[in-house]
Amino acid sequence: MRSIILNEITKTWSYTAFRVIILLHFFLFFLVVLSTSAMDITVPGFSTSHLYQFPNIWEYFPWVASWFNLLLAILIIVMTGNEYSFRTFRQHVVDGFSRIQLLSGKAFLILMIGVYSLLMVLLFSLIFGFIFSNDYSDGAFLNKTYILLVYFVQAIAYMSAGFFLAVLFRNTALAIVLFILYRLIIEPVFRLFFPQGARLYFPMKAISNLTPLPEFLSISSGNQAGAEGVDTLSFREMGLMAEDLPVLVNLLLALGYTALFISLAYLLLRKRNL
Amino acid sequence: MKPARSSHSKITELENILETLNLSKNYGRITAVKDLSLEVGPGHVFGILGPNGSGKTTTLSIISGIIESNAGTYRWFGREPRAGMRKNIGSLIEVPNFYPYLNLTRNLSIAARIKDKPLDDIERVLKMVNLWERRKSRFDTLSLGMKQRLALSSVLLGDPDVLVLDEPANGLDPEGIAEVREIILREREKQKTIILASHILDEVEKVCTHVAVLKNGQSIARGKVHELLAVDDPVIVSCPEPDKLKEEIIRAGLSKSVEKNGNELLVILKKGKEAKDINEFAFSKGIILDRLETRKTSLESQFLELVK
Repeated sequence: MRSIILNEITKTWSYTAFRVIILLHFFLFFLVVLSTSAMDITVPGFSTSHLYQFPNIWEYFPWVASWFNLLLAILIIVMTGNEYSFRTFRQHVVDGFSRIQLLSGKAFLILMIGVYSLLMVLLFSLIFGFIFSNDYSDGAFLNKTYILLVYFVQAIAYMSAGFFLAVLFRNTALAIVLFILYRLIIEPVFRLFFPQGARLYFPMKAISNLTPLPEFLSISSGNQAGAEGVDTLSFREMGLMAEDLPVLVNLLLALGYTALFISLAYLLLRKRNL
Repeated sequence: MKPARSSHSKITELENILETLNLSKNYGRITAVKDLSLEVGPGHVFGILGPNGSGKTTTLSIISGIIESNAGTYRWFGREPRAGMRKNIGSLIEVPNFYPYLNLTRNLSIAARIKDKPLDDIERVLKMVNLWERRKSRFDTLSLGMKQRLALSSVLLGDPDVLVLDEPANGLDPEGIAEVREIILREREKQKTIILASHILDEVEKVCTHVAVLKNGQSIARGKVHELLAVDDPVIVSCPEPDKLKEEIIRAGLSKSVEKNGNELLVILKKGKEAKDINEFAFSKGIILDRLETRKTSLESQFLELVK
């Protein structure tokens, strides 16, 4: 296992495209959260700065980070596609790796990138949370932190889908294009042919629903309204958003899809010639 | 206490390093390998010869674990193949496969970790192929010959007892070919088992102890190289009186056949006779020879005859 890990680190860290995409991911996220924090819209009873306070920030930052999961999936596609275009998967098997060891290398890479993105969100959440929050009491601070782990599962699930497509097509460009098309067009259109309840079980929908759009209205006006004893309506209550599955069900669905993508990738690796 | 035996001594005790039994591989309707059975013994330098598309690379790819056969089996070291076994077999299949953006040392460190070989060995193998000075260069800056030598250095990591080389001199200039041949001969001297697929017949002839000739995925001839070469080599003789000499040779029963071609005679000698016997015989008959030469039948001509 040690050799698998050291090899993945050698391959990735020396690869310029990898560093560029990771830096791009980091700075894009930073840029978005920084610029939106600078655009504080405050009217009586409503302030967007509430989004940056504990515990709302645990909900808001993972949601923003989820926009950039596409980059992480592309990164995995590039790194896996390279193994085919450089024919190094083939060479690794010739040198003595089994198919499961090839898979383990990429699973480790997915995990490593997932941990990086989790730490990135954690770091920025803490920095911005401490800057914008007034209440550091334990309850407020820790409430909703579980969303970070949910975000971690989401990032892993996206990257696993990317990995599966890269193994399926063995071509980086084709896998990236199809991943984007499937994510943005194919699955959303396909879902339209199914009843509302069934749509929530599609892979991309289930994975993206792990970090749903935060209730901006209730968060932004919640504190003020709560203080004044006024109930605020959520997007869902206003009929602007469909009902989601419970988080735990969504989480299990995403984990199931992750296992499915990885298993299918392994089957392809085992059955096909390298 | 008995000293521990080296892996090499254990290997030389084996009957066969590699056995393939009725290996077959189809790509759709195309048969790449058909019912191929081979045995490679310890210390053999086993050449696999054949024209393009004869199944050489497919055979080596199957025994290297990168493609699955449709039928048949193979055994390494008398056992069912497992991924871990390949760590002790240095294989170069087709082209060198490395990460273009990594330098030579990093590329070899990846291979060494996969093979569970010490990283210290990288210096030794790079020096063996004269690439130590380029160790910090990226793989994609190397010439084709250097890439091939790097692939050979990767094969030699950990000093494996068995080497599988598919067209190791592919794309090399004459100097590069000579270097590769030098490396293979050095490994042969160490009693290593080498399986070498090549279309360079001269290479096989000079390096290999055994050879199998493939055609359309099937073995059409195999054996020791010197046995395959053990055919009647013609002797070319020329003299001022070729007709007289021809009659005398036939009368004396020296030859299997004599053909006249201008002033020259093409003599196929009987078993046990040598070219010098013709010289002595002609002198005894008062005939002075202008030319006496044994034309060696090359593996190439036999190979072409076989695959015709």
